[in-house]
Amino acid sequence: MAKETGRACLSVIGSAKQASRDTGFAAIRDIACVQGGLRGLVHSVNHAGGSAPLQISIGSVPLSLFIREAALHVQAVKRYSEFFQDSSNALPILLNHRKAGAPGPCEFSYTLDDATLFFGSRRAEFLGVRNEYAMDSLLRILLTVVLLPQRGFLLHAATVVRDGRAYIFAGRSGAGKSTVASLSPEGNVLTDEISLLRYSNGCWQAHGTPFWGEFRAAGSNRQFPVAGIYSLVQAGSDRVESLSAKQALRALLPCVLFFTSENDSHEALLMMLLNLIGEIPCHRLHFRRKAEFWKVIAA
Amino acid sequence: MSECIIRNPRLAWREVDGEMIIISPDGQVHELNETATLVWKNAAGDKGLEEIAGEIATEYDVTLEVARTDLAELLAVLETKQLLDVGMLGKD
Repeated sequence: MAKETGRACLSVIGSAKQASRDTGFAAIRDIACVQGGLRGLVHSVNHAGGSAPLQISIGSVPLSLFIREAALHVQAVKRYSEFFQDSSNALPILLNHRKAGAPGPCEFSYTLDDATLFFGSRRAEFLGVRNEYAMDSLLRILLTVVLLPQRGFLLHAATVVRDGRAYIFAGRSGAGKSTVASLSPEGNVLTDEISLLRYSNGCWQAHGTPFWGEFRAAGSNRQFPVAGIYSLVQAGSDRVESLSAKQALRALLPCVLFFTSENDSHEALLMMLLNLIGEIPCHRLHFRRKAEFWKVIAA
Repeated sequence: MSECIIRNPRLAWREVDGEMIIISPDGQVHELNETATLVWKNAAGDKGLEEIAGEIATEYDVTLEVARTDLAELLAVLETKQLLDVGMLGKD
């Protein structure tokens, strides 16, 4: 009996880069209600000679923000207060230290609206940063580049912790990430918008990030082993459907924040995602936007 | 001299569950079905189109004429997407 030939075809299932553009300025919410207080204001600002570096760590990536403008410095202190962490080997990030132009040979550059990121082996520069939203967007982009060789990435997903393990709810804008977060116990939500997954200590871990959506929280710098990944689909009833490797890759790729155009990086991304999919159960969660969805999530 | 097909070297690709997932330099993600995956695997520039059509005909139990037509249609799409080029066999 003849096999179904399934006429050779090609389908475009989404664009990783277009998904990433969701993180542009327009997608970043007002953070006027930042939680976590102002304890970061202990980082002094030297108006005459620039600011002391703001030492933070996101996803166990140590970063040193050198911000000269006082207003931007204060905004960064508020935004990243939960992620302060001193480190002797932090990657320096210079904000608006020059007017324009590349700082010389660099491994990666990216322009988003009027702001540009340059990344070299020893430091990064942000130019044209006019507000905290531009700063935050370039920081996200930089993290995607820095994390990749360390087997880590950013994903459009909410992360909720239950019994010490992280449940990842992935989806593009409008999929229900913030709804999932709002329907989960307060204090258990690691992030409602951008999740950071990284392989470390022999397993995949979800890290808290300062990149929040409608929750407008400051985030928390904690990490938990990943229990499962759920691709969000709104439906009339709650149920969980297991995904094959191909289905999982198809669901996750459009949600990955990714900005490089090099095929080596794309290869690394594919390898990393397939490794993740091989180790972590991936599902499609059909849900009604009600808290009962937790009943169908496997413990 | 017969024609062959050559993958765009700037692409990243992996076979998953028997089908090919391809990422273009612009971040676009493409997915090939089983038949197109067979063609993709033969796109290293070392096999003539006629030979590839023959493999399709054998694998899927269709006539060589049907296989040639399907192959031509697929290659037109893949070329438009800049995923591969049609070149001449044996030419550097």
